[in-house]
Amino acid sequence: MMRFAAKRAAWALVVLFVVVTGVFLLANAVGDPAAANLGPRANRAQLQAYRRAHGLDRPLPERYAKYVLGLAHGDLGISLRDEQPVGQVLLQRLPRTALLGGMALAFELCLGLGFGIVAAMRRNTWVDTAVMSTAFLGVCLPSFVVGPFFLREVAFRLGWFPVGGYGRDALDHVYHATLPALTLAILGSATYARVMRSEMIEVLRADFVRTARAKGASETAVVLRHAARNALLPIVTMLGLSLPLLVTGAIITESIYGWPGVGRLAIESIAALDVPMILGIVLLASMTVQLGNFLADLAVAALDPRIRTGAGG
Amino acid sequence: MRSIRRSDARLTLGAGLLCVAMGCASVLWVAAVGGCGDPRSGPRWTGAHPGVETPRRGGTFVFHHETDVRGFDPHVAFDELSTMGVKLMFDCLLDYDYELNLVPSLAAALPDVSADGKTFTFRLRRGVRFHNGRELTADDVRWSLERMLNPATASPGVGYFAQLDGAAAYEAGRAPHVSGIVVLDRYTVRFQLREPDQTFLNALAMPFAAPVPRESYAPGARDVARHPVGTGPFMLVDWEPGIRVTFARNPRYWQPGKPYVDRMIFELNLQREAAFMRFLAGDLDHVHRLTPADRLFLGESRAWGPYRQAQADADLWGLEMNTEMAPFDDVHVRRAVAFVIDRERWSLARNHALAPLGQALPAGFAGYDARLPGVQTRDLVRAREEMRLAGHPDGLRAPVTLWIGEGPTGKIYGELAQANLAEIGIQIELKPVAYPVYLRETGRRHTAQMVYGGWTQDFPDPATFFDPLFHSRSATSTDATNRSFYRNSTLDALLDRARSERDRARRVAMYREANELVTRDAPWAFAFSSSRLEAWQPYVHGYRIHPVWTNCFRDVWLDLPRERITRRYAPRATMPAALLPFGAPR
Repeated sequence: MMRFAAKRAAWALVVLFVVVTGVFLLANAVGDPAAANLGPRANRAQLQAYRRAHGLDRPLPERYAKYVLGLAHGDLGISLRDEQPVGQVLLQRLPRTALLGGMALAFELCLGLGFGIVAAMRRNTWVDTAVMSTAFLGVCLPSFVVGPFFLREVAFRLGWFPVGGYGRDALDHVYHATLPALTLAILGSATYARVMRSEMIEVLRADFVRTARAKGASETAVVLRHAARNALLPIVTMLGLSLPLLVTGAIITESIYGWPGVGRLAIESIAALDVPMILGIVLLASMTVQLGNFLADLAVAALDPRIRTGAGG
Repeated sequence: MRSIRRSDARLTLGAGLLCVAMGCASVLWVAAVGGCGDPRSGPRWTGAHPGVETPRRGGTFVFHHETDVRGFDPHVAFDELSTMGVKLMFDCLLDYDYELNLVPSLAAALPDVSADGKTFTFRLRRGVRFHNGRELTADDVRWSLERMLNPATASPGVGYFAQLDGAAAYEAGRAPHVSGIVVLDRYTVRFQLREPDQTFLNALAMPFAAPVPRESYAPGARDVARHPVGTGPFMLVDWEPGIRVTFARNPRYWQPGKPYVDRMIFELNLQREAAFMRFLAGDLDHVHRLTPADRLFLGESRAWGPYRQAQADADLWGLEMNTEMAPFDDVHVRRAVAFVIDRERWSLARNHALAPLGQALPAGFAGYDARLPGVQTRDLVRAREEMRLAGHPDGLRAPVTLWIGEGPTGKIYGELAQANLAEIGIQIELKPVAYPVYLRETGRRHTAQMVYGGWTQDFPDPATFFDPLFHSRSATSTDATNRSFYRNSTLDALLDRARSERDRARRVAMYREANELVTRDAPWAFAFSSSRLEAWQPYVHGYRIHPVWTNCFRDVWLDLPRERITRRYAPRATMPAALLPFGAPR
């Protein structure tokens, strides 16, 4: 088990290193951060002063070495855009994105699992068709369609929710996050519903379910306690894979609703060619992907004894 | 196998039926509630005392922008967003009124100018206090300017003060002070220039010259961009990065009775669509960035008529032609382009969000002339004649590359130019690039043949356009602002003379001459000035579009309806109120 974890960690480090190097080179090759930050009105003297002040006039290898060295000390550098420490800004943005992502995941699971179970139980009836058609449609609705629609109709016209923004205190944040979370959930829940349905159909046919029924367990107990719990296995893997959503956020949805999370930050940093901030976000994202995969592996092993004996030995 | 296929077919059928149902539902929905652009939907609230024009104190004013604020250091901020906040918290020696006159602000009066035009003596207003309570003195004026000029500050404003005697030596670290800034006594400061420069007073009115208290801004002071201390009518109370900034009235403000508003809230990161909906819902008091559709609606709405203003910006947009590269090294080809651009058509394509322009200065600037000889207008016959003179009666064989910024706006103008230039046989290949790339590459010699671009004023003086755009000094090999790389020694000499000319009439005549020269020589095909449309709630008073400062809310006062006061932005909004559906307390 420890060897497995150590191997994964080593691989993760290699991946992170490759990602950081690649993004560093790309971001610096794309354009001039000085011009991107000062805008078209800046003249040569202004640009040169900016480059000097931010160390952009140093040769690329030197800047790279300095960055990696800082990284080794846990220093993500200073943002070019607003002169704040990158780590601090990310820490500030993370909880906001986590709130939105967490709510989105919760909605996805509620909708997706519910839909999937209902469809599986009423397999090949009109209920199944209706539920799965809705899910099918959900997969086809991108957030840049659903987002503005919700904003205009549900928030503005019906007035049930605020028109974008973040709110003032904890409850208010939840209230403000509801629509963006729903927007995200519509897409995600459809996938969950489809997976859950087919898993449930599989499990409902299994011997232990028949045994449970034969013992005289109620239908609710059979479905929820015996069948659904066993159908959750692939869902756990999917959950692990969607962990990055909690961290990197949903760039488009956050922009539509003006949600001040990591996704929105990513867009602004790219526009300003804020190399340290872009690198920070990419690092965070790839770390989360690694972690998500790792956790998914662990969880599956914990849930399924067959896998546990295979990998843990 | 069969069952799978059957369920697939049912799924498709079901989804199809759902689509149809949703389509019908949305049509019914729109029919029932009406489109958002329904011209009958006017302001939700009027003021409590309509018709009363005496300023009232109190209330919270809420405004917005699309992205995040970078920081409020007046010596460093150089973008529209940050400057909006800087203008609330900082004053300069001079300011502009709405008629573009320089007026004293922290100075007690306009300066005494010496006969040679090189010395400016300012007397400060007495009793002006910083937000921290200390009185402003002449020492602060000098210390602040030196801080701005110090390379460690990396201020983009340094170039505007290059004429100050001793500035170069100070920047290079060869002198402890700028010899051209002399403190005569506690309230008197004198500026000494190397050469007479009529734009020096304009530079002093820029936030780069805002006095700041040394105790808060000395090296080592913590994060001055986030803890601004100035002399302005508002003070920073709270900054939630990426969300909003809150300002409160400065109780010690030197102008008696001002400011009128208790609090200002600057909502950040609001996309245009969301901002306009919030404005209509009454949650924003002012709106200024609009989608084309919202702009059309607002511009035509009768109900919003008294509460909106459209005004041409002091900026310049067009096609910049690289005079060092073929085919634009030939003045006739450049003129042909200038004559074939259909400015009215461009305006139509943009819902009149722009004011057509065919010369090197925006309307209203000294030197602008509506009847300028040689003004660039659409004239197909002349355009073809110029192409013939250039030796290309049948057009150019090789296509021309037009650099545009990435995004929808650049693309629209690129395509409009493409259509126009095809009429004289010039094929355009569009080259859309990311903004940072665009800025770097178009400012490099021998790189971009033709660029769609623009320029906005730094201050209301013609030098703000001519010197960076057309002076050979600005055609540097990299980072050039003169992106057409236009070099004309006659123009250079004229501009240098005009910059120092003290007689206003003579100066205007010089810039008019420069304008005619550049317009005829056509390093740019001038196309338009953009035109802004802003609107505010009926209970907002004292606001007009300022000709220099974008969204300057210093003089705003509110005649709030009672319902508005108790709603969301009241201090300490309680949760139940926020949870109520939007319309409930209406």
